[in-house]
Amino acid sequence: MAGKLNRRDFLIRSGVVGVGALSLPALLAACGGDGSGGSSGGGTMFFDNWPEYMDTETVAAFTKDTGVAFKYGESFNDNNEYFAKIQPAMSKGDAIEADILAPTFWMAARFRQLDWIQKLPKDKIPNFANLRDDLKGQPWDKNDEYHLPYQTGIAGIAYNLEVTGRELKSTADLFDAAFKGKIGMLTEMRDTIGLIAMSQGLKLAEITTFDQAAAAFEQLEKAKNDGQIRAFTGNDYVDDLDAGNFAACVAWSGDVLQLSKDNPNIRFFIPEEGGTSWFDTMVWMKGSDKADAVAAWMNYIYDPVNAARITATVQYISPVKGVQDELSKMGGDAAALAEDPLLFPDAATLGNLQSWGALSEEEEAKFDEAFSAITGA
Amino acid sequence: MVALGLGAVAIAAEWVTGAASYAVGGVMFVVVVALIWTVIMGGPETRRALAPYGLLKPGVLWLCLFFLAPLWSMMVMSLSSKESRFDFFPSFTWEWSNYSTAFSEFGPQFARSFLYAGIATVLTIVIGFPLAYVIAFRGGKYRNLLLGLVVVPFFTSYLIRTLAWGNLLADEGPVIAVIDALRLEWFLESLQIMDNGKLLNTPAAVIGGLTYNFLPFMVLPIYVSLEKVDVGLVDAAMDLYSSASRAFRKIVVPLALPGVFAGSLLVFIPASGDFVNAQFLGNPNTTMIGNSIQDQFLRQLNYPVASAMSFVLMFIITIFVLLYTKFLGTEDLA
Repeated sequence: MAGKLNRRDFLIRSGVVGVGALSLPALLAACGGDGSGGSSGGGTMFFDNWPEYMDTETVAAFTKDTGVAFKYGESFNDNNEYFAKIQPAMSKGDAIEADILAPTFWMAARFRQLDWIQKLPKDKIPNFANLRDDLKGQPWDKNDEYHLPYQTGIAGIAYNLEVTGRELKSTADLFDAAFKGKIGMLTEMRDTIGLIAMSQGLKLAEITTFDQAAAAFEQLEKAKNDGQIRAFTGNDYVDDLDAGNFAACVAWSGDVLQLSKDNPNIRFFIPEEGGTSWFDTMVWMKGSDKADAVAAWMNYIYDPVNAARITATVQYISPVKGVQDELSKMGGDAAALAEDPLLFPDAATLGNLQSWGALSEEEEAKFDEAFSAITGA
Repeated sequence: MVALGLGAVAIAAEWVTGAASYAVGGVMFVVVVALIWTVIMGGPETRRALAPYGLLKPGVLWLCLFFLAPLWSMMVMSLSSKESRFDFFPSFTWEWSNYSTAFSEFGPQFARSFLYAGIATVLTIVIGFPLAYVIAFRGGKYRNLLLGLVVVPFFTSYLIRTLAWGNLLADEGPVIAVIDALRLEWFLESLQIMDNGKLLNTPAAVIGGLTYNFLPFMVLPIYVSLEKVDVGLVDAAMDLYSSASRAFRKIVVPLALPGVFAGSLLVFIPASGDFVNAQFLGNPNTTMIGNSIQDQFLRQLNYPVASAMSFVLMFIITIFVLLYTKFLGTEDLA
């Protein structure tokens, strides 16, 4: 769900920018003061998550089962924007309203680097044992002390069979001149550049400097100048794909799973050169003093029964062991999901996925700048 | 008066903070009370002398708080530099390089913004003038209804209207279907309106969106100018053996110019800073400066450069407006 941008977000964003265009700095300065309060008083624990990233039952069931007062929000729309939103308070050392946030892994790494998050009370989270082994030991959190994955997913390629007229299977197809002006790319730099870099034979985890990935940027820039790329989008690629404006685009697995139910011409595949895997985390923000409530929540959704209920709705890959069995037990549609290779990838598929390592602050800035120069923003 | 304004700017721009800001606020309050006190105690003459200042007060305070103070902090920000990428409080260092960055890296976006906004302004005049003319002179009893129809799209959100254009111009959408049926594609391609069989995500779509979205801003001022034109003047010209077209050129057009002038400003200025149309109707090669400022501010977190870009944008627009005013005159601005 990295880099989500839909219409609703855009409304918010345009509001922010509209006001901002005239009065940004003053606004920022003014916002700085009101970040405090919230989490220190009262007893309600607040988890601010991505939109439509939770089923309808779990939140209420959690309070009922554990007695913990819990508030659930859906305003985490975009990693970079949320970062900009909490930066005034966090950089002053004030608490923000949310106790738990759901940044994507690279943003969580940035939180860690800026010392914005706390060590999780792991002794109170026995279900931590259910964390999938392949997700343990991230380079920025070697002992898994600061985060728990919330959902994981795959970035690959989606295409509209009606428009392409043929089956696709490789990243090179995105650069096929037959699809000129009909290709979509994600504004999420790691997914778009990741696929291209892998098609050039690079190993994502080994990329630490911009120079190593420069060729991928060149290929993207050339495609953009040639008019091959129609648009760089956030989550709204789904509409363009459905409407036939995009023949093919870089896409996230869960979205396409939901879309292909309504439109059988929409297909998703992991390119033979490799797809990226990413995950969204749960992190405990500095300034929150609700260790018990935070632990109770994380423990609750790491229970396979609860995790399976979430998976049945959001259709992303669960980081919790045992979800597949629970889904089978639920029967009906959920049981069918248990057999879905995009939700429970086999070893061969997993072997074809790569994820980015941590980039230093300086190098990350170079990546972002180069990428934004290409996306034209 | 001046003290009040200064006080408001001082607090809003954070020249003074903490206890000092309360002190400044206190002084402002005392000034207001003193002014009211003088008015109450003084005779009718004092009252008459002070009335203009009293009436100016809300406006001045408003401008200082919401215009001058933000402008000031934006200027400070545009000359600041960040120590590290995530440094939230850039320090003021007379960093003029922000401005050279704004020019050197975003030149194409600036040029494109003014080009698109300029074409859109011309198009709104071409479409809007006849429309306003017909409503004003031939509208009859339907005048108000017709004017209402011009404004009706405003009842829907700007964003929704732009997204609707996206649906209309889509590759499988109704507009392309009509063009295909009429076999006009080669013609539109030769005019470079269509590109490789598509209308959506082309420069033409962005300019079309701008024209559509800002059209009422052109129609309404022109209508106001035309409505005031005395039809008797045209009749008089005809009585003096003028041809209809000459009467139109010599009488109606000059009298409508203030409306055209006001309309072009109302269209050109917001259109240059617009980013919605380029975002939804454009492609990566049609981004405008508004998109770049948004990106610098919200994604790159580069507040100093974003502020410098905003200033450059304001500066260039101001120059355009001044030149335009000089050559077209505003004495009769409606």
